Formats: sequence, C-alpha cells, structure tokens
Amino acid sequence: MESKQKTSGGEYLFEIATFLATSARGCIDEPRLYGPFRLIDALSRLLDLPKYASCLSEDPFFDQIKKEIDEKKVLIMSDVEGFKDFLDHLVQEFARELKRRSLEF
Amino acid sequence: MEVFDAIKSRRSIRKYKADSVPEELIEKILEAGRWAPSGSNIQPWEFIVIKDQKILDMIRKVSPGFFGGAPLTILVCSDRERAQKLGGPLGRSYLAIADCAMAVQNMLLAAYALGLGGCPIKSFSQVALKEILEIPNNLEPELLVTIGYPDQKPSPLPKRPLSEITHLNKYGVEWEKLK
Repeated sequence: MESKQKTSGGEYLFEIATFLATSARGCIDEPRLYGPFRLIDALSRLLDLPKYASCLSEDPFFDQIKKEIDEKKVLIMSDVEGFKDFLDHLVQEFARELKRRSLEF
Repeated sequence: MEVFDAIKSRRSIRKYKADSVPEELIEKILEAGRWAPSGSNIQPWEFIVIKDQKILDMIRKVSPGFFGGAPLTILVCSDRERAQKLGGPLGRSYLAIADCAMAVQNMLLAAYALGLGGCPIKSFSQVALKEILEIPNNLEPELLVTIGYPDQKPSPLPKRPLSEITHLNKYGVEWEKLK
C-alpha cells in the first residue's frame, strides 16, 4: 500500500534517488548478493518513471521487463542459481531488444 | 493457534491489504514483545509504533528492504545506555541486540496468531530513520517490523535439516534419531 497522494515525476525521481543512496550505504554491510538485488529492484522502480513523468512515454518492453523483475526478484531468497539464470535471461532480453531497436531506427 | 503450528506456518509477508490494524491488536502484539526473554532482565527495547501514512511513506523510501507497503510498522530500538548500565559491555554489544530479536519474534508470532502477517526488516538507513523519527542518540534502531493483513501466501523457504544442524553431546556427533 503506497501513499495515496498523487506523485509528480520530480517526487518519484527523488524517491528513486533516496532508494539508491540508502542502498549504496546498505550494500557495504549487507550480504554480497543484496547488491545485484538492489540494482534490479532499482531498475524495476526506474521503469515506473513514465507513469509519473509526462515527458516520458510508456514502453511495452519496459512494462514487460518490470513485470518479470517483480515476479522473479524474490528468487534471491530461496534460489540463487535461479536468480542468476533470471538475470542472464533479462540481459538476453535487453540484447534482443537492443538489436531490434538498432535495426529499426 | 498452537505455538508449534504458528512457528512452522508463519511466513514473512511482503504484500499487504490496505486495511488498518485495530489498536487492540497492536497492543497485543506489543505485549508479546514486552514479554520476550531478556538477558539480566535488562529489557533494552523501545517500540515506536508508526501508523501515520506520511511517516510510513518516508520510512519506506529510506528502507531498501521495505516491500509491499504496510498499514503499520513497529520499529524496535535498543537502548544501548540502559544495556551498558545494567549489563556491562556484554549487555551493550550483545544482549541489547539479542533481546530485541527475541521481542521481534514474539511480535511476529503474535501477529500471525491474530490473523495478521509481518516481516522483520534490517535493510534500512539507521541515519535516516533517526532523523525522520527523531530518535535520541542512546537508541539504536534494530529492526523494523511491518504488520498488516496479508495479500499473499508465500511458500515456505528451504530449511536446513535437523540432522545437519544438530549434534549430540559433542560437536560433530550425529544424533541417530534424526537420520
């Protein structure tokens, strides 16, 4: 349950920035695997930015990636190999999309 | 609910319904924490109950391990000065933390027995929490406990078998019964 207040793009960016700063400090003391976890969680949060920033248009690829991250990120709690496989899969998805965008534009 | 059933079926909840937690249930959860064991009976804990959504939102933003939102969060702090005064260096460096952890487990089990879910969180910025909640220097934020009505049913995580973690009489001697 998030705050019911309407959030602006600037406020949401501030939230992501706060998450990144607190995560950076936390990663010094936390288990090593929390680093990749925070990064992928940050990516999921970043991909929500178009919802709050009117200058950004929604992107079906990003929507799909965010959905996958939110479903699979918890693997880190129980299945580290599965989490690694998921990250490999994610990178592969980005590479495929990169190729598609490079050839299209 | 039987204690053993609660211990085995409780899960950490990271997705909550929006329904608020009635105050009488909050009080029961706090009571469960208050009755936790405490080395030398120091009782180093202080509980900060956070229901205000604006403050909860600020806490969420400075706590990378805070997931799913929650209508209620209890911050369990240790009073290190009290622990030092009543328990010496061991009280300050160890008992203060161990006691708070036991209080949190009591709270989590109580919440579960009351039909609620909870999750202990250590991934937060101590500096930021102290600033936001105006916590004095003698207190250390130890664990956040999110509490609310669960909106998920997590599967149990794998646990190491008893035979792997138990030794009979001496370290390294297996207990036949557990094989």
